[in-house]
Amino acid sequence: MFLWDKLPFLLIIIILLLCFVMPFFARWKPVVCPYLTVVTVIIVFVISVVLTFRVAGGEVIHYHAGDWPPPWGIEIFIDELAAMMLLLLTGSCLLIVFYSLKALTKEIPGPAIGWYYTLFLLTLASMMGIVVTNDLFNLYVMVEIVSIGAVGLVVAKGEKLSTEASLRYLMLATLGSGFMLFAIGFLYQVTGNLNMPYVAAELLEVRDQYPFLMWATLSFFTVGLGVKAALFPLHIWLPDAHSSAPSPSSAVLSGLVVKVYIISMLRIYFLVFGIEVFNETFLRSLILLLATMAILGGSLFAFVQLDLKRRLAYSTVAQIGYIFLGMGLGTVWGVTAALLHIIIHALMKICLFMSAGAVYYQTGRKKVIHFSGLGYQMPVTMAAFTIASLSMVGIPFFGGFITKYGLALGSLEANNPYFIVLIVVSGLLNAAYYFPIVWQAYFTSGHDPQMTMDKVPFTMLVPIIITALGIIYMGLFPGRILEFLEQVSIRLLL
Amino acid sequence: MDISMLWVNYPYFVAIILFCLGCLCILTQHNLVKKVIGINIMETGIFLFFIAVGNIEGGVAPIYDPTLPEGVLYINPLPSVLVLTGIVVSFSVTAFALAIIVKLYQFYGTVYAPDIMRLR
Repeated sequence: MFLWDKLPFLLIIIILLLCFVMPFFARWKPVVCPYLTVVTVIIVFVISVVLTFRVAGGEVIHYHAGDWPPPWGIEIFIDELAAMMLLLLTGSCLLIVFYSLKALTKEIPGPAIGWYYTLFLLTLASMMGIVVTNDLFNLYVMVEIVSIGAVGLVVAKGEKLSTEASLRYLMLATLGSGFMLFAIGFLYQVTGNLNMPYVAAELLEVRDQYPFLMWATLSFFTVGLGVKAALFPLHIWLPDAHSSAPSPSSAVLSGLVVKVYIISMLRIYFLVFGIEVFNETFLRSLILLLATMAILGGSLFAFVQLDLKRRLAYSTVAQIGYIFLGMGLGTVWGVTAALLHIIIHALMKICLFMSAGAVYYQTGRKKVIHFSGLGYQMPVTMAAFTIASLSMVGIPFFGGFITKYGLALGSLEANNPYFIVLIVVSGLLNAAYYFPIVWQAYFTSGHDPQMTMDKVPFTMLVPIIITALGIIYMGLFPGRILEFLEQVSIRLLL
Repeated sequence: MDISMLWVNYPYFVAIILFCLGCLCILTQHNLVKKVIGINIMETGIFLFFIAVGNIEGGVAPIYDPTLPEGVLYINPLPSVLVLTGIVVSFSVTAFALAIIVKLYQFYGTVYAPDIMRLR
């Protein structure tokens, strides 16, 4: 019973304790580090499944750290949104850990592997912290730890390009957290609270007295979290960092790290400030504008890249645009589609980056033009890649179609039918840069078109297959999860 | 708005000036070490803001002391605690950034950003 109450806290503290111990193992027994990581992530996954079942049973979990009640202490708060994100984070990290057991041996110098797993766990723990915390300053600390962990995941490769990209990432991420901390300071000054529901309640009374402060706070939050979530003109660190990182880190960074910031943005906009402030200020139009630029600009930039991972990284910029588009529409369907896209894009990007890593593992090829004949050499990997590409373009029966459909409904709901044109155009642009890769792989057969099986290890193939199946499942049976997310977004938009 | 407001609230202005200087330093300096110094200036500005928010004119430290007169104002310790945490965070970020810069120096033999762009 004691443990049952402490589960939300254990979720994070188990990983942090292991991070503390891991460097000793990395120093003296580097062989055990991967297995320790696997065991920990499995434990955390089980805990988050249990928590999800508790939340699905109608319970909303509050945990007060150190038994201090909310206005004074830090509160951990797990509602449906947080439970969904916990399941997504731990589930995808489990797949990525299994994948990285073998994949890392070719991409990272041997002695660094123990340290890599330390940083990986640190990133996972603080991502979960961002999702479950209900305290603004705790949010800042967790955001800063995610930045350090994520930069560490990039720099672990130890090459020139990744080192340079990681410094730029660190500088901009720190700039972003500076803006965020200043905004938290503003909020603390006017409301005297750091707990989000309390801040929201106080803001309702005082926000008309300080109109300029509301503007400043909102714009500081937008810039601060926008830098980290790679909102379009602030995305300049992303392509270098995501493409030069080892492929398991690229999967984590592109699939998960940028999303948790969007979750905290959603919380701050809709739960702390409320939908009225979001509509009154020009923030909504700004986000719609930036999302449009992101979708078009990211796709166009991706179109001209020749390096596969760089192309995928620019595609992330465009896909983040979809999530912001749904958020900016501010209707139930729009936010539902944004939340759904967080899940589906995580699956797609993890699948794509893991396939790219598998291709590199077997053949050492990185450029798109060298992919000819790969469909016969690596049938399973390229099949998964094709499924993820079709989903990216938005072909029916794949996951990506459902979000595009949801966004279209959302833009009709918001009386803005122009965005349907944008969604169609961006789907065509996606096709323009994903289909040539698939075409290269299957139809420009090299000299030997006979079929052989992939020569990548089993632990790398299984996660790729699972993510690909997940995409198809989402495309075929979206009903229950859509219903669930609709409830979540109705509660967000109240 | 009264002009004396500016004078009474001068810590806030100093904080904002420091913050802007730090941002400018990060974005415009070409020397990487100077960029790290910019990060520190920026965060100092934010910490000054927190301290200024938490301070009360004539308040005392929040430790109960029976010799003090009735009705004395105790200062809320929370902003100072936040600043302490913030200092730890900013310290670790600085250390990490400097470590990466050392590594870049080993690769390129310079910490000047345009040179690194050229050598790449």
